[in-house]
Amino acid sequence: MTTASPEISEIDANARFPLSLLLSSALLWLIVSGLLALLSFAQNLNPALLADCPYLSFGRTRALQETAFVYGWIANSGFAVSLWILGRLSGSPLRSLNWVTIGTLFWNLAVTLGLVGIALGDGSSIPFLHVPSYVQPLLLFSFGAIAVSGVLAWTGRARRTAFAAQWYAVAALFLFPWLFSAAQAMLVWLPIRGTLQAVAAGWFMQGAWTLWIAPMALGAAYYLVPKISGRVIPSYDFAALSFWTLLVVGGWTGGRHLIGGPVPAWVASIAIVSCGLLIFHYVVTAINLRGAFGHRSVALKFISFGLVAYVIGGVADAATAMRSVAQFTQFTWVTQAQSQLALTGAFSMIVFGAIYFLVPRIFNQAWPSTALIRAHHIAALLGTVALVVALAMAGVVQGRDLADAAVNFSDIAHHMRSWLLIAAAAQALLVLGNVILAFHFARVVFAKPAVVAENLFSQPPAMEASVT
Amino acid sequence: MRNGFLFFIGLFASVLLSWAGIVLGSNSQLGKLAPLYDENESKAFPQRRSGVAGQGQFVYDSLNCAACHTQQVRRPDFGSDKARGWGEHQSVARDYIYDTRVQLGNSRLGPDLANLAGRKAPYDAEDLLKLLYTGSGNMPSYKFLFEKRALLGLQPSNYALKLRGDLAAPEGFEIVPTPEANSLVAYLLSQNQVYEYPEARPMQPPAASKEGEHK
Repeated sequence: MTTASPEISEIDANARFPLSLLLSSALLWLIVSGLLALLSFAQNLNPALLADCPYLSFGRTRALQETAFVYGWIANSGFAVSLWILGRLSGSPLRSLNWVTIGTLFWNLAVTLGLVGIALGDGSSIPFLHVPSYVQPLLLFSFGAIAVSGVLAWTGRARRTAFAAQWYAVAALFLFPWLFSAAQAMLVWLPIRGTLQAVAAGWFMQGAWTLWIAPMALGAAYYLVPKISGRVIPSYDFAALSFWTLLVVGGWTGGRHLIGGPVPAWVASIAIVSCGLLIFHYVVTAINLRGAFGHRSVALKFISFGLVAYVIGGVADAATAMRSVAQFTQFTWVTQAQSQLALTGAFSMIVFGAIYFLVPRIFNQAWPSTALIRAHHIAALLGTVALVVALAMAGVVQGRDLADAAVNFSDIAHHMRSWLLIAAAAQALLVLGNVILAFHFARVVFAKPAVVAENLFSQPPAMEASVT
Repeated sequence: MRNGFLFFIGLFASVLLSWAGIVLGSNSQLGKLAPLYDENESKAFPQRRSGVAGQGQFVYDSLNCAACHTQQVRRPDFGSDKARGWGEHQSVARDYIYDTRVQLGNSRLGPDLANLAGRKAPYDAEDLLKLLYTGSGNMPSYKFLFEKRALLGLQPSNYALKLRGDLAAPEGFEIVPTPEANSLVAYLLSQNQVYEYPEARPMQPPAASKEGEHK
């Protein structure tokens, strides 16, 4: 924090209730999905576990876990961070916050109904779209209600020129409803013919990542890195190029998981080329945001880890899209490792950083405990690295064994077992870290301010917990 | 980016273009894919599933069986799919035109099921019901798809599972598959991709095709 003037606090304080509602629901879903992931690993290691419970059979646990993570954690936390950034960069308090509150309540009602529906057997097996058809319209309307505030903050911004953080946040808020409703129409309401469904599902899944999830995280990073480090973004001109590369090329990576499948081969070929082209975006993002590294601010520690995961994930996507690699890695845990690297490693870590920065500001008080932050940081760091490495190794073993027709599936499971045990332990560590964060957040919410806000804001570094 | 309107047009165009390119593009290629009438067999392929099997597709979908099973046989030189006996040739788009919900899947914790009924050593309904009831190796059992009924001194059902040893129902009880289990099994038994469409045949280099006429 190098800015001399105290930060304007009305903008933040005004949005305290809706943003904390979004964040507390997000953290709750994060823990729920973490526990479900743990259960899913345990079921993988011991197939008899809860096998007699129809609500938590292996496939359904997986669907529940993904839904709680994507629609619970990612959506809620992404909304909170994006709205806060748009509000701050517009230079005036967020408007139509009642809509945000109502939208958040209905969104979370829809997610809850969705999970109950999946457990009862109304869900589907479409990745990222497991929620039963009857809650999808509710999700869409709630999204609209929440996004209104972001749109107003964008149209009513004080400066005509927009910053990179705003481009990403607006893109995420604006594009998801299109992706989501198009995917619903093509897959659920009026299913298209045959394997075109797989093409559409791939387009939706990759679109959700490149046009919704990644932009929300990048918006936070582009806002916080220069703000905390006090350095301007180097080669800012390239940021626009990088942004449009992600948006224009990202949607074309949809065939990444369909290599060698019963779809037109050019769908996969375009995905391979697009994954390669996206490397430009990853490189520019890394150069733009290199100020995040080597800083003592806890927010930047999380964000810099998230950026590393983001870039590695991008390169890994390009590498595993190659046909010669995909032949072995597709259909294995490597795919899971990649999605964990992107969702847990890149998105969650960057958003954790943003949460550590924005919560003290909207509540006008510092985080009560440095030890808890340090504990969460260590758990998140070790947990993510161990999870991704263990899943990738399990996938390599699985890929090698699958290629050899003499190895049967029981043996493959046996060979992967030790890696999956490590992955389960890592997942437990992640849950622990997230429980610590949720507990810490609850302490901020329920504590009475110890320091008068003005004193706190005259010394912004006091709000910044730093970990050495 | 000073012009907000242009910015929104750009955003919208980027999502629209990728949708048009990938989804509409493949739709123009596959959207009108018709069944193939084979004069030798006097039948059109693929064949429609029975009504029960069609219902089973939704059981498969709702249980998210795709978490472990794919339904796509890759070409013989791409992975061990053929060597594992999953199918003699690759799956092609035409195999799926009658599926309400295509289940290509993206994880192989278990075997591929695209051609389950067309394998060299196919399962019958009883095998599959037993497999669902008992599980095997890394596959969990799906006992909740079965009903444990008291016999009450009556004759056992014709559909009761014939289980032996530890798994057998206790004295005076029988294990009967629910309609879900039956439709799921009917669906699995309708998974047949034996028929080889012209587009499923590997491309022959021009020189090689002169020697052996491919029919």
